[in-house]
Amino acid sequence: MRTLPSRVVITGAAAALSLSLASCGGGSGGGASDAAPAAAAPSASAAVQDALTKPAELTFWTWVTGIEKTVARFEAKYPNIKVNVVNAGQSADQYTKLQTAIKAGSGAPDVAQVEYFALPQFALSKQVVNLADYGAGALKDKFAASAWAQVAINGGVYGIPQDTGPMAMFYRKDIFDKLKIEPPKTWAEFVEAAKKVKADNPDNFLTTVDPGDAGGVDSMIWQAGGTPFKTSGESNVSVSLATDPGVKQWVSTWSTLLGEKLVDPQPGWTDEWWKGMGSGKYAVWLTGAWAPNGIVNSIPKTRGKWAVAPMPQYDAAQPMNAENGGSSVAVIPQSKNIPAAVAFAEWLNSDPEAVKSLNEEAGLFPATKALLDDPAFRDAPLDFFGGQKINQVLSDASAAVRPGWQYLPFQVYANSVFKDTVGQAIDGGGDLNAALKAWQDRITAFGTEQGFTLSSGG
Amino acid sequence: MTAVAAGRPGAHRSAKARRRRRSPALTVIMLVMFVYAVLPLFWLLANASKSGGDLFSTFGLWFGGDFHLFANIGDTLSYQDGIFLRWFGNTVLYSVVGAGGAALLATIGGYALAKYDFPGRRLLFAMVLGAISIPGTALAVPTYLLFSRVGIVDTPWAVLIPSLCSPFGLYLMRVYAADAVPDSILESARIDGAGEFRIFRTIALRLLAPGFVTVLLFALVATWNNYFLPLIVLNTPDWFPLTVGLNQWNAQANSGTSGAGDATYQLILTGSLLSIVPLIIAFLVLQRFWQSGLATGSVKQ
Repeated sequence: MRTLPSRVVITGAAAALSLSLASCGGGSGGGASDAAPAAAAPSASAAVQDALTKPAELTFWTWVTGIEKTVARFEAKYPNIKVNVVNAGQSADQYTKLQTAIKAGSGAPDVAQVEYFALPQFALSKQVVNLADYGAGALKDKFAASAWAQVAINGGVYGIPQDTGPMAMFYRKDIFDKLKIEPPKTWAEFVEAAKKVKADNPDNFLTTVDPGDAGGVDSMIWQAGGTPFKTSGESNVSVSLATDPGVKQWVSTWSTLLGEKLVDPQPGWTDEWWKGMGSGKYAVWLTGAWAPNGIVNSIPKTRGKWAVAPMPQYDAAQPMNAENGGSSVAVIPQSKNIPAAVAFAEWLNSDPEAVKSLNEEAGLFPATKALLDDPAFRDAPLDFFGGQKINQVLSDASAAVRPGWQYLPFQVYANSVFKDTVGQAIDGGGDLNAALKAWQDRITAFGTEQGFTLSSGG
Repeated sequence: MTAVAAGRPGAHRSAKARRRRRSPALTVIMLVMFVYAVLPLFWLLANASKSGGDLFSTFGLWFGGDFHLFANIGDTLSYQDGIFLRWFGNTVLYSVVGAGGAALLATIGGYALAKYDFPGRRLLFAMVLGAISIPGTALAVPTYLLFSRVGIVDTPWAVLIPSLCSPFGLYLMRVYAADAVPDSILESARIDGAGEFRIFRTIALRLLAPGFVTVLLFALVATWNNYFLPLIVLNTPDWFPLTVGLNQWNAQANSGTSGAGDATYQLILTGSLLSIVPLIIAFLVLQRFWQSGLATGSVKQ
């Protein structure tokens, strides 16, 4: 054993290193790879309609539970097309697989669910088909502006919006009533309400903030009027987490909340967090309109105690909202039948029957204007929420979403290092400004490595 | 052993006294270790027996209002058309074929490396040692690209083939075979006219059995708990092992964006409980061989 040649070990280590680099590469490089053959729009959209009548088999990667029922409706309507629904993993897990399969040149599905925050990454690296080439631009008016804005990237259309998550304030009405708290309309009132909860019982908190959830903080910065990420063209990226006025506004409120220990820095979806949500330790959940499913399924014993209100505002005269979560459905260039894939993605997310099924059978919060404005949808009272017509609040929240937000073309990476920077400050009570600067530095370093031109624009 | 061997007179009494004397500090440390090891299992059992409503509304380290374990097991086995059983079967397939094959290949290879002198033997052994130092995680992505070329991505082969290679097992068997199979036996067998394969099959394999079981156990645990490789190379839930499948349920429960969702937390807990039962049984059954195996190896010569 002592005679082991050191050469072997060194080669082994070098190999491991280069392999691990390959695995983190993530494929978000600015370089164009295999672009889809672009066709002239009119004939292409005719081909899409045509494809519905021809025999085809499609594979659809999605992690939405219950979506098989909507897909079954598609197959019933267009019996020539067979769709295999595959749950290949959730969010980042699926994106890793998708990118590996795209790089490998085989094994990718025809159609895949891609969240809005990840779509720019796939779009700029040409890993998803520009649906505008197939006439998808015509669907624009069917969708809520906030949804469409998130798939219209760099002059193209890279996905069909499936569901949205306009932010709202889910709160425990029983606790608010007991402590005589009115649902706060402004963030100043929110801080006051947090103090009341604390004064009543020092172990309780008005709400929590998840130190690992970049998406949650992104959304709150969006809601504060911030636009810290901007991309122009294919490779110019500006990051202004340290200087953006909206970010500063978020920091001023949340520094107070965290500094005075008025909110609990507790990771979401954990045993402890759900227990707190159920027991009344936490009274508020600031999140996307998709939240009711989680509450109803995980803490059924709180039936009747919840209510929904619009997000607190920084300036009550100019209400602004943001999106949190939500997905689009994209077509992968590897598909052997792109027109059929496009036709399926369009039907699934815009046909009235499909959209209704997605909402009722898969529990998704809608992205289409038709359903968001449908009185039957808006005015349905929910027993779990004490009979409140919560969709009125949530649909209005969708209409109030502030346009202009952009995600980075490598947001998946940026979100993955949030925990090490801003998350640390949230968790340990550190300086948020310094932490945001540290996050910006990590983002800038990675983006530069990937071949983007980074600036710290104002 | 040494205490008993030394000083015959009075040895009986002192040994007895030693057995009687208890160290409170050690007892406390043992108790702490016991609690540390058993508490998570107890937590799992307690929570797997709660109903969905009780899960987040009752004390975590005790049972809920009503005993729901059997209902939960029923739900787990039937959820999504009984895919849990399919995952269970996959894990058994990957572990039995993967670990069995790995142990067999390691035994053959280790024996060859230990008992035959051929050019490149040292280099080969050095490469095996080098392979131990590369974590499997680092190899997963290149493995994927390779398999994708061959066209076996998203098939059970993509999990089985890498599981068959156990550099650590090979190393262990080489060291073990060097001691456990005396050269003189091999020589006398050759003089008697036995072929090399026959020698291996009828003599060496029997002598190596304890080592084989040790490698089998290691490989069994490794493949049973294998997560990253199947996560990368498999896309179709029908081929998932339990680790990847349960994590998928977990991700599903932890995300509001996943749609209607079901109250899957109890299913994850119950599924986790069920998935460790076979490993516990395998350990209880095989640990006998393991202990005797290691002892045999150490006293052989």
